[in-house]
Amino acid sequence: MSSTVLIFLVLYFAVVLGIGFWAMRRGAGGDLESFLLGGRRIGPLVTALTLQSTSMSGFMFLGAGALGYVEGYWGLWYAAGDIGGGVVNMSVIGRRMRKLSELTGSLTPIEYLEKRYPSPAIRLIAGGLTVFMLGSYVLAQFIAGGKGMALVTGLPYSVALLLAVGIILLYTYLGGYLAVAYTDFFQSLVMVIGVLWILTAALVEVGGLGAANRAIAELEPSLLSIWGRDLGYQGQWGVALGAVLIFSVGYMGWPHVVTRHMAMSRPTTARKAGAYATFWNLLFVPAPYIVGILAVLILPELADPEMAIFAVAQKLLPAAVTGVVMAAIMAAIMSTADSLLLQTGSIAARDLYERFFDPNASQKRMVLVSRLMVLAIGVVGYLVALIQPPTVFQVVIFVTSVLGSAFFPAYVCAVWWRRANTPGALASIIAGASVSFVWQLIGLESASGLHPMVAGLTASISSMIVVSLATQKRSPVPQRIRDLMTEAARLGPAAEPS
Amino acid sequence: MFDLPLSTTLLVFGFPAFWILYTFGFLFLTRNWRREESNPKDGR
Repeated sequence: MSSTVLIFLVLYFAVVLGIGFWAMRRGAGGDLESFLLGGRRIGPLVTALTLQSTSMSGFMFLGAGALGYVEGYWGLWYAAGDIGGGVVNMSVIGRRMRKLSELTGSLTPIEYLEKRYPSPAIRLIAGGLTVFMLGSYVLAQFIAGGKGMALVTGLPYSVALLLAVGIILLYTYLGGYLAVAYTDFFQSLVMVIGVLWILTAALVEVGGLGAANRAIAELEPSLLSIWGRDLGYQGQWGVALGAVLIFSVGYMGWPHVVTRHMAMSRPTTARKAGAYATFWNLLFVPAPYIVGILAVLILPELADPEMAIFAVAQKLLPAAVTGVVMAAIMAAIMSTADSLLLQTGSIAARDLYERFFDPNASQKRMVLVSRLMVLAIGVVGYLVALIQPPTVFQVVIFVTSVLGSAFFPAYVCAVWWRRANTPGALASIIAGASVSFVWQLIGLESASGLHPMVAGLTASISSMIVVSLATQKRSPVPQRIRDLMTEAARLGPAAEPS
Repeated sequence: MFDLPLSTTLLVFGFPAFWILYTFGFLFLTRNWRREESNPKDGR
């Protein structure tokens, strides 16, 4: 292993830990709002970049690269939606969700759902589902971290995985949301620098994009099409649509992402944050897919496509720059993993333990429950990643499809549709999660030509509309909540929280 | 463009162009949001 690469990685970890400690001390307000939402003091730039770096996980360096390597330009369907994910999120629910969450005194995205759709069942089902799915999502980050560490250090996968999981857990224990947000901000910059550096090196190596495309056309022309290798997806518009939706509107159903709205310094932060997110995405999102495509020429005999970006970096870049790229890859993994773990621990402690088992739990006990949950996820995740690791692409698409399908209508209708009631939200969450889950479990995508995201969204949106309308008389939306929605929609200084 | 088929060119460049327009549209349509910006906290 190159000592230069190691020095860069250690330097990177030191800087991240330093920022984390600084942010932790700065945000040490002592109350739960400070710990979970950074005291709602996050401005537009940090909001945009924590939103994006949390959304762009190790998937971007492993899954996206592999997709480009295996399926060529087909992978760009995913990038096409992803570029707009941040601004769609901010423009549709950002301002109103920020306002409504403060008006209802909600500190987690699951508590917010219960306050908007009053029922313990909402909190139990949404909390349980979120803990399970985010726990699985962390698994993908562990696998990505383990693979990367193994390649960089030359250690066996089992040892490298243990090292990666250990670093991620240590780092998550640092502190609350403010530490996560500010380290995410730094990591998003490292991610952009790293990915653009490797893209530039790859383009120079192949003689530019035009020359690369001509060479690929001679090798396998179907890789240049929008339908994948051997035109395997030809005419499957339902799959292409799902690929666009999953990382654009799908974001609005991810609890660990919509928390970013709740933590903004003011509702209108969403405006500038949306613009910053688009700018960052334009720089970052397409690059890993294109590097994966170029790797077909640079490394035609690659055994594991998920290693495409790692391997290209090692082949083309000098050790010092490889260190920067490796730091970028770890940044993508860790910025997502810490957010997922913090969110999962918070939901387990506040939305499940305190809400259903110990309503008088002290804050100390809540933090202990949260940390035990994080540790449990770490141990289980390590074992699964060690014994039978699925591909990062599989896990990420599975989890994000289920979460996006389950929660998209609930979060959007919470601020936009005054007739969206509790039975409608419950039906929507259950139908969206079930359909998307089963769709992937029994492999209906290829049989139906429909992406699980499209199937899940269709189920959840139609359930929300039909059930809400059918149960309006029996379960009307309480007037108090209608008033809060009106206040959240109104432009002007916010009224006092209820 | 770049020796890509037309459909791939639209996928690669069309969607980013759409999102740029969407973002400018969002900024334009929300220019009156400044009315809400009283009593801000110390975000950056």
